[in-house]
Amino acid sequence: MKRIKIVIPVLLVFLLCFNVFAENKIVLNYWTQTDDNRTALENRYIQEFEKANPNVEIKRVTNESSKMADLLLTAFSANNGPDLFNLTIDQEYAYMVNGRVAPVDYRAIGYKSYNDLKADYLKNTFNALSMKGKIYGLPLELTNWCIYINKKVFRSAGLDPEKDYPKTWEDMVNVSEKLVLRDGNIIKRRGFDFRYPDYLTFFVPMVQQLGGDVLDSTGKKAIVNDKAWIKVLNFMKAWGPNGKNLGSPTYLNARKTFDKDNNDVAMCTSGLYQEQRIRDDNPAFFNSKEWMVIPYPVFKGGKHIPCAYYGHFLMVNAQSSKEKQTMAWKFTKYMLDHPMEYLEKVAILQPRASLINSEAFKDMPYTKVFMDDLVKAQPILANKNSARIQMYIKEAVESVMLTDTSAETTLKTLKSKIQEVLDEE
Amino acid sequence: MPTTSHDTAMILKGKKRERFSMEKQKACWGWMFVFPALLFFSVFSFYPMINALYMSFMQKDLLSLNPPEFIGLRNYIYLIHSSDFWNSIKDTTIFTLGTFLPLLVFSLILAAFIMSRQKFQKFFQMAFYSPAVLSSVVAAVIWLLIFNPRGLANQGLNLLFQTPGIDHKWLANDKMLQLSTIIVYFWKYIGYFTIVFVAGMGAIPLSLYEAARIDGASSWKAFWRITLPLIKPTTVLVSIMAMLQCLKTFSTQYLFTTSGAPTSPINVITLNIYNTAIRDHRIGRASAMSIILFAIMLFLTWVQFKASKSDKVSYT
Repeated sequence: MKRIKIVIPVLLVFLLCFNVFAENKIVLNYWTQTDDNRTALENRYIQEFEKANPNVEIKRVTNESSKMADLLLTAFSANNGPDLFNLTIDQEYAYMVNGRVAPVDYRAIGYKSYNDLKADYLKNTFNALSMKGKIYGLPLELTNWCIYINKKVFRSAGLDPEKDYPKTWEDMVNVSEKLVLRDGNIIKRRGFDFRYPDYLTFFVPMVQQLGGDVLDSTGKKAIVNDKAWIKVLNFMKAWGPNGKNLGSPTYLNARKTFDKDNNDVAMCTSGLYQEQRIRDDNPAFFNSKEWMVIPYPVFKGGKHIPCAYYGHFLMVNAQSSKEKQTMAWKFTKYMLDHPMEYLEKVAILQPRASLINSEAFKDMPYTKVFMDDLVKAQPILANKNSARIQMYIKEAVESVMLTDTSAETTLKTLKSKIQEVLDEE
Repeated sequence: MPTTSHDTAMILKGKKRERFSMEKQKACWGWMFVFPALLFFSVFSFYPMINALYMSFMQKDLLSLNPPEFIGLRNYIYLIHSSDFWNSIKDTTIFTLGTFLPLLVFSLILAAFIMSRQKFQKFFQMAFYSPAVLSSVVAAVIWLLIFNPRGLANQGLNLLFQTPGIDHKWLANDKMLQLSTIIVYFWKYIGYFTIVFVAGMGAIPLSLYEAARIDGASSWKAFWRITLPLIKPTTVLVSIMAMLQCLKTFSTQYLFTTSGAPTSPINVITLNIYNTAIRDHRIGRASAMSIILFAIMLFLTWVQFKASKSDKVSYT
């Protein structure tokens, strides 16, 4: 009994002290995608940041990239989202318009104004993340796609990769027809194939090249310039198994098989990060210099609009305490102050002016090709319903490619579906 | 020994109280054992069901900080007029009929085959059951590779029919895509239902077969006259379980559509619910769809119970 009388007060004092210390500690929950290279790098940044800020504890949680959007949505809908997270721009837009994320605390991270912050980055970096004069995220990654070419496959088909590479979509069909190998109807080697199902990134710019668009300037009317859409839908129809049979969404992703250099595909669409992946997956192929990168093609006579750029931006939960928000921005800034390290170790491009203008960046293979396209590129469609619109475009493209539905009928359905979404907004 | 009527009444009352308290005690223990399961069911099943019903009358964006807005039956009215929803009903019906009936018939045949074996019964049970152990996602990934234009499905069919180079468009053609999802589901669950039938057949007393054999009945006759009538409760159970499983199918269709297959032919209700809630953030409309699916499942289960009249069998 005596022992209990002593133990209980001691325990209470201990718990009280623990509670007081725990309350003083700022615990930040940071959710991001699985990436071993980035995890190693960011765990080091966390250690360094915690050492410099002993009252901060950062819990970094990684999720499968494909599940990240679902997990975040359910967490936020239960008002239990993480303090810091990243998603793609098109998915993040809904968080902005619903007031779920806080604007960047530029003062906390050492900038005098938003313009000061913008000046530190490549022009237009924040276009998709700006609303009512405020910026809502800092770029973990900004990506545009160009075309990777396997020179050996070109030569095996009697083509000179340096001269015969496709500059237009019409060239792409002609070159692909020379490169493709089939066994009956089954393609054994593709010349090129699209990056299904990222239609907002690769397909919409093709429509824009011909003067079309998904939404009009007011954002209230769906499908601008039917002619442009029908031409591109017919182009996809001709590309698919019911047309010239040059590729299909049902084959393995061309980007994934390109690195293997196994005569499976001659060209694929990908970002600068693919270079690192080739180096990791197939160093012999990387060092052979038997690959090259060319700009995103355009339609003959079309506007020079390259592939849309997308990105992952780090965002801060508006429901977190002010103290946590400030600390989250400080931590974000600390991580993002190492753009060269991110590029070298994780192969992701952070569009910091200092990085883009550095000699080390310019010396990396084909960075000029990517940057030349990036400055002309438009951001991926950022709308509250981007994901839904992309799904409808996916249905439309796959409908013309894989079934007998005409481009005109498909466009009519697509238009009415997107218009319904806009009317409901 | 009671001496007066008063004493007798007192003793009877005491016994009654004793019995009552015993019953009460038993009931108490019963409740205690059942309580965890009830609590689990209430929190993870009953509450979400009630909440889904409540949300089906609301308009709510999953990300919005605004409270849900009551809109009465508007979600249901929207769905009745939605061609997309009716397409989902059609896709679900095709899938369910295409999967549930073969599942029922073939699992029964396989179970009869296993029971007729003298040896390797356990081996066959394990072999048939093994796909059920795999997660649906893994199963769908395996089959995606098989149905790839350069995959085993095309190679196998072309070898069988001597038609080299033909792409059967397993994931591209509407009908073939529906067939592909049916094959995946059939492959995954056939073993599971076979085992259920095996258990049902195992419960039939062997003396009935022995008596029939003595009377000169063939194996075929014994199956039709003894096995089939006596496994009626199992058949009802399997048919209901298989039907409900088919109506709830999701993973295969989800993985196929996210891997390049067209959505429209396999946009089953569950996939539509997922897309409406998670992709479109319309939780009210998704809840209305899930309530309709629930009603359909409840109705079909009731119909099956009614159609089977009685699930009781007697071995006498």
